[in-house]
Amino acid sequence: MTNRYVQMALRLVVAAILLPVGYSKLAAGGMDVMLFERLGMEPHGRIIIGLLEITAGLLMLSPQAASGALIAVGIMFGAILAHSTVLGVDVGDGGRHVAMLTLVLVSSILVLYARRRDLPIIGTTLGAGDNRDP
Amino acid sequence: MSVSSQPQDVRHLETRLSVNLDRVGKIANAGIVLALVGSVLLGHFVSFYFHFLTVFLILLNLLNFYWRHVQKAHTLLSNFGFTAQLRYLIESVGPEFRQYLYSSDNEERPFSRNERTEVYRKAKGIDSSAAFGTQLDWESGNHILLRHSFFPTTTDKLEPFRVTFGEEREIATAYAISHPVMISGMSFGALGSHAVRALARGAKKAGIPMNTGEGGYPKYHLMEGADLIFQIGTAKFGVRHEDGRLHEGKLAELAAKEPIAMVEIKFSQGAKPGKGGLLPKEKLSQEIAELRGVPMGQDVVSPPRPLECVDEASTVAFIRRVQEVAGLPVGIKFCLGRSVELRRLVLEMKRQGVFPDFMTVDGAEGGTGAAPRSFMDGLGLPLLEGLARVQSVLEEEGVRDRLKLIASGKLIDARRQLIAMSLGADACYTARGFMLALGCIQALQCNQNTCPVGITTHNPRLERGLDIEAKSTRVANYVAGLCHNYVEMLAATGKTAASELGRDDLFLPGAHQGGAS
Repeated sequence: MTNRYVQMALRLVVAAILLPVGYSKLAAGGMDVMLFERLGMEPHGRIIIGLLEITAGLLMLSPQAASGALIAVGIMFGAILAHSTVLGVDVGDGGRHVAMLTLVLVSSILVLYARRRDLPIIGTTLGAGDNRDP
Repeated sequence: MSVSSQPQDVRHLETRLSVNLDRVGKIANAGIVLALVGSVLLGHFVSFYFHFLTVFLILLNLLNFYWRHVQKAHTLLSNFGFTAQLRYLIESVGPEFRQYLYSSDNEERPFSRNERTEVYRKAKGIDSSAAFGTQLDWESGNHILLRHSFFPTTTDKLEPFRVTFGEEREIATAYAISHPVMISGMSFGALGSHAVRALARGAKKAGIPMNTGEGGYPKYHLMEGADLIFQIGTAKFGVRHEDGRLHEGKLAELAAKEPIAMVEIKFSQGAKPGKGGLLPKEKLSQEIAELRGVPMGQDVVSPPRPLECVDEASTVAFIRRVQEVAGLPVGIKFCLGRSVELRRLVLEMKRQGVFPDFMTVDGAEGGTGAAPRSFMDGLGLPLLEGLARVQSVLEEEGVRDRLKLIASGKLIDARRQLIAMSLGADACYTARGFMLALGCIQALQCNQNTCPVGITTHNPRLERGLDIEAKSTRVANYVAGLCHNYVEMLAATGKTAASELGRDDLFLPGAHQGGAS
């Protein structure tokens, strides 16, 4: 559905956001530590999420972009939960976090939808044209 | 305990399915919604870590909703949701589990583990003795056996094997083989370049010829200097005009090449008799398209017969034309359908005084890179039936001495080869035997370009593991092992040459019950 070049651009956008954001989490940036402390997930949650973000960012640039997009969508759902229940929209950055989150979420969903058939195991059931049993 | 017990038995059978899948599905589908609610609460009130689970459950619920209410392609997913995915998961690993764990050593098809192991052992040149007696299902009584003699020959008294193709026509290019087995037709296309070269190099080492298959110009077959039998398929790849008719110039040019020893015109193949060859588009590379002269991006489908051959007269004329252009021994390959048609063809051969130098009789059990299952399972005579009929027709028409007979179709061991020779064959072809020698594990993916051992694939990553030199030695070992078995079994029959074997040297279950033999 999504044009090949649009898809490529979306993948680059997601990777360009997730890789530095993930790195900053692993490097224990001040803002990240503060936010994860408020969630009660410091430091393990911060490290896990950082690793997941880097994994998703790298997968976004690989042929398995579908898996990267799925992980990214998952992280963003988690982030939405965090901002809606604990952190609030403005975490002292004028809502920049939430804006980025939305951008990554929408881009990832578009990529995931376009490449859903690449997903391991369940991919073949996500669209017509495969030859499994009913 | 009489008539009334019957309904009870039936009821008993009806309750065999003890797991109520509908109920399991309902509980599971409701369960993941409840689990999501629970996870959200835990994440909110206990620890934010629980939201990892929340996220997973959100995704699972979304997917489950899609499977149950949006998609229409899969009934099971619609009715049961994500639990049905378990079936697909388990199903997808079924073939592996069956081969690794559950199938007995005599069970798998086309070749059982025991049969494959025999080939592997020969190819590796290791001892192939077995213990404690045969594992074949002896009570079934279905096995054709060779009859041995009270007075076996010793192997040094056997005549050296020699069959000369083309000697009947007394042509200068007559071709002699000194081993009873040859490599049957496998094209570059069906096989990858590594496999073709390993086979060709092995053939050269073993001193046997190799059939090129119908893959057009045999670029890779020619690389190793082995003797080749060039196969003209029904589409005549490599020697065709654009309209599919024979290109005499190209054929003459190929036949003049030194390694090309014989030509075989393929009329039909046991795995798909009455249907042309098929190369799936997944396996069609730029190079293959060029060697064959066909467009990219679509399956390469050959016609069911050579265009020139519309009846007996034109077929015999075509054979003569190929013999004249090629100047080599020329044979025809077919799987027998109706004996009466073969007889008409032979009568026409007699009328025109033209005979092919050999006939290759392929059995319905023969192999293929790709064919519809209905053709593999449903058409053509099995090798032994077909071979016996061809031999009868040739004998009855008094022309058996005008040509040689080659048998093909699962002839991967000396037992089967000697049985075929007892029914009239002068020599044997096998293709899958040699694939097994190359390391085939019978993954049954020849038509998908995903062959895990790099034989029937053009994927460089999969071909990487197929070392041409190492595997060519396996090929040569396999030939040596086959010939060793062949010689010893032939000596046990008390004969001095396979040509002395006849139908009476076989034990055909059922055929002789109560008879004197």
